[in-house]
Amino acid sequence: MTSPDGLVPVTVLGGYLGAGKTTLLNNLLTKNHGRRLAVLVNDFGAVNIDVDLIVSHDGDTISLENGCVCCSISDSLGESLDRVLALDPQPDQIVIEASGVADPTKIASYGYGWPGCRMDAVIVLADVETIQDKAKDQFVGELIIRQLRGADLVLVTKSDLVSEDVLNSVICWAADIAAVPVTPISHGDIDPKVVLDLSSFDPDTRWDPQTSRNADSLRSAEDMFETATLTLSRPLDRPRLEKALALWPQDVLRVKGIVRFSEACDCGAELHVVQRVGLRWSIEPTLPETDLEDAGGRLMVVVRRAAVDAASLMNGLVDG
Amino acid sequence: MAEITVFLARQVRTMEASMPTAEAVAVRDGRIVEVGTLASMAPWLDNYDHEVDDTFIDHVIMPGFIDPHLHPSMAAVLLPMEFTTVVEWDLPWSEIGAVNGRVELLDRLIELDADLEPEAPLFAWGHHPIWHGEIDREALNEISATRPIIVWHRGYHSLIVNDACYRWMDIDLDAARRHPQIDVDKGAFFETGLGFAYRYMTSFLLGTERFRAGLDRMRQVIHHGGQTTIGDAAMGMYGFEEEWEHLKAVMERPDTPFRIQLMPFEMGLGGEDDSDEAMIERVLSYPQRNTHRLRFSDHVKMFADGGFFAELLMLKSPGHLDGRHGEWMTPPERFEEVARSFWNAGLKIHVHCTGDLGVEMTLSTLEKLQWERPRFNHRFTFEHFGISSAQQVARMAEVGAVASVNAYYVYELSRAFADHTLGYERASQMSRLGSLERAGVRFAVHSDFTMAPAKPLNNAWVAANRLNEAGEVMCPNERASLDAALKAITSNAAYVLGLEDEIGSLRWGKQADFTILEADPYDVGAEGLRDIPIWGTVFEGEKFPI
Repeated sequence: MTSPDGLVPVTVLGGYLGAGKTTLLNNLLTKNHGRRLAVLVNDFGAVNIDVDLIVSHDGDTISLENGCVCCSISDSLGESLDRVLALDPQPDQIVIEASGVADPTKIASYGYGWPGCRMDAVIVLADVETIQDKAKDQFVGELIIRQLRGADLVLVTKSDLVSEDVLNSVICWAADIAAVPVTPISHGDIDPKVVLDLSSFDPDTRWDPQTSRNADSLRSAEDMFETATLTLSRPLDRPRLEKALALWPQDVLRVKGIVRFSEACDCGAELHVVQRVGLRWSIEPTLPETDLEDAGGRLMVVVRRAAVDAASLMNGLVDG
Repeated sequence: MAEITVFLARQVRTMEASMPTAEAVAVRDGRIVEVGTLASMAPWLDNYDHEVDDTFIDHVIMPGFIDPHLHPSMAAVLLPMEFTTVVEWDLPWSEIGAVNGRVELLDRLIELDADLEPEAPLFAWGHHPIWHGEIDREALNEISATRPIIVWHRGYHSLIVNDACYRWMDIDLDAARRHPQIDVDKGAFFETGLGFAYRYMTSFLLGTERFRAGLDRMRQVIHHGGQTTIGDAAMGMYGFEEEWEHLKAVMERPDTPFRIQLMPFEMGLGGEDDSDEAMIERVLSYPQRNTHRLRFSDHVKMFADGGFFAELLMLKSPGHLDGRHGEWMTPPERFEEVARSFWNAGLKIHVHCTGDLGVEMTLSTLEKLQWERPRFNHRFTFEHFGISSAQQVARMAEVGAVASVNAYYVYELSRAFADHTLGYERASQMSRLGSLERAGVRFAVHSDFTMAPAKPLNNAWVAANRLNEAGEVMCPNERASLDAALKAITSNAAYVLGLEDEIGSLRWGKQADFTILEADPYDVGAEGLRDIPIWGTVFEGEKFPI
């Protein structure tokens, strides 16, 4: 499926060594989310993909039966991006694993500007057991803080290894530094709608969590989030949408959709792509051929379960 | 058996403490048979055919100069470009004056544009905003509407292009506009934006013909500086096998008067694709492909923090003057793991480290390895050694570290870094050689060409004087003595490369590699080192005038 702007969304996965990037990538690569991901990794060896799922392994690229591919960033990130963008069919989304010492916002530059790409989100992982010590380390402390501050979403990993109190204190600490939504995960288990672009998810699909591991846990990934679709009955007032995107609480983790504005836009485009990840949002014109069935458009939102009422978000956009 | 050739000289400086000076060097089959006087060599000369060569009777013979750390491949990309830096360059094919200030840079570009054949892209390397201010697309458009112009940053930090270059690149401007580190209107590409620009340029810059022409220029540069051995301190940056083929084609020729000690770039920047064991096995296998002039041994390169010219050094408190951040090129934990594997395999580790936090990380790793598994004669070498403290130097001495220092930083960067990057105290003490000498840490000086000119006498001059381009002496207490500065380009440079039994001084059995000078550096003294004319070199007994 082509995205409304014709560009492939790029997610950058950052965080220091041992934060759990590989575990999460493994999950994304093998989980049944219906998207063809191209995952670019630094270390092929570490991504331990079940051989039964591998269709072919050709030098720098492993292809999986679900349509996902995993490529090693062998020479330059740019070359690797060109390589996966040239795949036929093109991937629905690219996920870049940033090196442990990278400033993920720098890697994100590739998402913003590489030909054929569009930035989706910077997701930074933090190991609940070590992140606070690392943040004080003489060599990498400053970098750890910078990585957190560069995030659109922070995932506190290995959350099952500590008590609820410890987990909450680390989440508060990270939220204080990063000033973006912070979410606990364990075993790399998270609703893909939180970490991936929403545009090609069917709004009605429910993601099937790995019940074997987390069924008993109250922190189960499935319980944590819900997805709602706001169907807009009439064109939107742009300033009002902008205000809402800026003010919606952190419990709204993602917003994605296509909308029609009541006032014509200078650029002549009729329809716009709306996106918010964490607190960063954008409104961009769509490609001319984009269709829209609903009068005002549709917005898909991922919210923390029970923290936000989807209906009230929509009312804030269209009421009055 | 070949005949012995006896080279007579006004003075022979052996760099051997047992016999510092001599009058003659006897050579057979490219190796030194004996050093001394014609009279002292009688036992040899009475028994073997010989000829006396007095070409150097008015000259001074020094051991062939050694630059243990430069980058032929980077130079091959850069040398076909035009040089427009704030300092002067004396290159074999032209003398290039300093370009200081925005107006001078633009004027130089106008001259260069007039001289180049139409349509050929104009690559100008050397722009630095500290000296040249801001250059933008419009300014370059005024110079030419038809010729692609590319202004390249001195430390590879950015590049600036004109409209003709956009057309030449056939660039995706929509994507470029979305890129946070590209300013399309100004024609400027910064840091990660560079990767975007390279996408459209690498096939041109790394094209075989251009690359080999660049390498051939590098060959001339090395000879011109009086060097008979160099170290390629990161072989494989642009692809190992490709570089190997290019080096063989251009350098392995009878008229190449030097050898290259190759240090593989095994741990690529962030590339961590294979196991440490596989890396070690590969490193140990490289010497099997050695040719006469191109040689691998058991030295490996690692990286701690970012580039010095690019101001990406990692600093301890109080950090950068303007609050910017440096970069780790290898995560400290990963660095330690790999260093441990290399250390335990007995390899000789060279570490690029530029800031005092980079030095600290490297040093604490070395201390840990020495504690776990003590090694003598390990040659663990701190490369570049931009910012450090005297206390770190003392610890380096304790664990047997070696240093290979870019002394030239002081000349070009000390004033600018004092004003813009570090403040005066740290900037004045960059590349601290006096402390190394006092602590008994052996050190070489290198050019890291094209970071510094590949001119050992010039680098020794900076080491011994610490004069900068603004004419100030920066921290005289960190000067190297004249003797240490000369050892840093001969005997100690050989030690850094692990070749001290082969080269670096003149005595029986060593390679007959000489640098022939018009004056004796010990007579001339530190102030005059860089002005001593070089006649040429002798490489393995054969004369190569410049």
